Amino acid sequence: MAAQTYALAAVMEDNYAVSFPFFGAERRGAPVMAFTRVDKDVIRIKTQIYEPDYVVVLDETLLETVDVLKGLKEDGMVVINTARRPDEVQLSREVNCATVDATSISLELLGRPITNTSMLGALARATGEVSMESIERAIMEKFGGKLGTEAGEKNARAARKAYQDLQVGMCRGGKDFVPRKEWLPTVQEMPLGGSIGALETEAGLVGIGSFVRNKTGDWRTFIPHVDHDKCIGCRMCWFYCPEGCITMEDQKAVIDFDYCKGCGICAQECPVDAISMERERR
Amino acid sequence: MVVTGDYSAAYGALICDVDVVAAYPITPQTFIVEDFSEFVADGLTDAEFVKVESEHSAMSACIAAQAAGARTFTATASQGLALMHEMLFVAAALHLPIVMPVVNRTLAAPIGIWCEYNDTMPERDTGWLQVYCETNQEVLDMVIQSYKIGEHRDVMLPVMPSMDAFILSHTVEPVHAPSTDEVADFLPRYQPQAILDTSNPMTIGSFAPPEYIQEIRYQSEVTMQKAREVIQQVNDDFAQTFGRDYHGLIEEYRTDDADVVLITMGTVTGTAREVVDDMRREGKKVGLVKLRFFRPFPLQELRRVAENVEAMGVYDRAMSFGSGGPAFIETRHALYGLDIPVVNFLAGLGGRDVVKEDVRLMFEKTLKAAKEGRAENETVWIGTRGVKP
Ligand code: SF4
Ligand code: SF4
Repeated sequence: MAAQTYALAAVMEDNYAVSFPFFGAERRGAPVMAFTRVDKDVIRIKTQIYEPDYVVVLDETLLETVDVLKGLKEDGMVVINTARRPDEVQLSREVNCATVDATSISLELLGRPITNTSMLGALARATGEVSMESIERAIMEKFGGKLGTEAGEKNARAARKAYQDLQVGMCRGGKDFVPRKEWLPTVQEMPLGGSIGALETEAGLVGIGSFVRNKTGDWRTFIPHVDHDKCIGCRMCWFYCPEGCITMEDQKAVIDFDYCKGCGICAQECPVDAISMERERR
Repeated sequence: MVVTGDYSAAYGALICDVDVVAAYPITPQTFIVEDFSEFVADGLTDAEFVKVESEHSAMSACIAAQAAGARTFTATASQGLALMHEMLFVAAALHLPIVMPVVNRTLAAPIGIWCEYNDTMPERDTGWLQVYCETNQEVLDMVIQSYKIGEHRDVMLPVMPSMDAFILSHTVEPVHAPSTDEVADFLPRYQPQAILDTSNPMTIGSFAPPEYIQEIRYQSEVTMQKAREVIQQVNDDFAQTFGRDYHGLIEEYRTDDADVVLITMGTVTGTAREVVDDMRREGKKVGLVKLRFFRPFPLQELRRVAENVEAMGVYDRAMSFGSGGPAFIETRHALYGLDIPVVNFLAGLGGRDVVKEDVRLMFEKTLKAAKEGRAENETVWIGTRGVKP
């Protein structure tokens, strides 16, 4: 949505723009990529972007595992959602860096940790490629139409706040990233039809049982907390948890944080509000 | 025995000792299912007969059973095959060698129950092997061969032997049936690649991002290409064991010194053999190619035949509207770069009888194209009121 809104704002300023998402495993807030190209001329190329001018990082936890600067042009810029100042952020190399605490802004103004509209304001300021006025108009058109004028205005305010709060500087370099090993079998190595049991590969275990090793809890921005004094053991959270990571011990819900992705569904479903979602502190 | 094509298919499954049958009846395939359920009721087989509520479920049940290591069988026709469409891709991509006779019946609208290939032709890209039969004997023999071809280590693909509605399915003719023991010697037990087994779990047919699917597609192509050799091997083994030789991907009939050949599929082939003999007696050098396998398509075999003739006719019992008959389209692809006229004949759609005069007209048009070095019309509709052939 954010990438599309940025494209819309660019078009409002007589540019041509193209924007598209690439989804992996799906969950609200799960790591996804989106790409946007802006040009004065018609854009014909249909590929993903491998050498961007700007990289926007909505989820700070990704900085630990992914070299977000990979492919970024020498004079490019990275815009990050973090409470830290640019010079407090260490990445693989020293580049132009802008930071803003979009999560706090979104929580304050929208009541939810959905940071994409705030980051649009940050991006407008960081790049100077699109005016803040166009971003606001685009947000009103994209979000206002669908969610109502009030929601549109709230999102526009969040963007404006991020625009104002943005800090621009340089990040520190020198952080080492061990390139993530991927299992990329050839036709000959691929089990016929892709049917696999437990398979040891150069990238670790794949297939059956691999989740025992591949913990997915580090995707979390929010962490559920169960108040066992309030919990009545009704199992609603257990029933709804999409990760199957809740068990019942002595009639109380217990969460396995190795796999909990912080989606908040359990908190939503609990009939006695025994579960609260709190900011994850790492 | 003197039996129908439907009975031949059911009997084929019986003597191949299938473990699971899941099928839903549809005219004109109904008797395949009924006959097999009688075998079960009479205690002739200990196969599990799964009654399902639709063809989509039938194929789903077969996929699951085959993935659990069972040799499975089903059969369908027309609308039933169309309803299975999405599951056909699953069976093929997972390399599950299910065997499914299809009785070729026209696909609505209008509703008809007679023969046309517009049901199986749209399934030619699913990854199944397709073979079209001429006689009830061939139906029975191809059920046996289909298991042996499909289950071959280098292939592992599902097979669809098909037969013409009523012209075979409901017609009785003498069929020689081998015994279960003879078949058991010819066809070893099914050795699955991957088995759903709770003590040794597997993921079959799971999610795959773009990093993986293209390699899996390539495997489908490799195995389909491998099937060419395996089809020939199994044909030759079968001929040696049972004394009936179908010659593999295609069968040539009196093509040796022919000036022109006609390519036919299914039962029209039998009638066309008669026409070839008649015309040969008149001194006309005509020959016939029976296109047996449509997948894999006999590209080299047809090209080799074409290299020695002056023109080719291709008979189709289905039309790919806006292009041509499927057999014609693919034959021309096989013949690319060869400078001979190729003429497409459409006849027998919706089950209209294709008679000797129709076939003779096809030969005459092909002879004329040979003489003139070009086809007057590339696509000729035969026996269509209001349309000049
Ligand atoms: S937040 Fe709750 S529902 Fe969501 S994954 Fe964690 S435990 Fe399950
Ligand atoms: S839904 Fe709430 S009350 Fe029910 S088991 Fe879960 S935490 Fe306890």
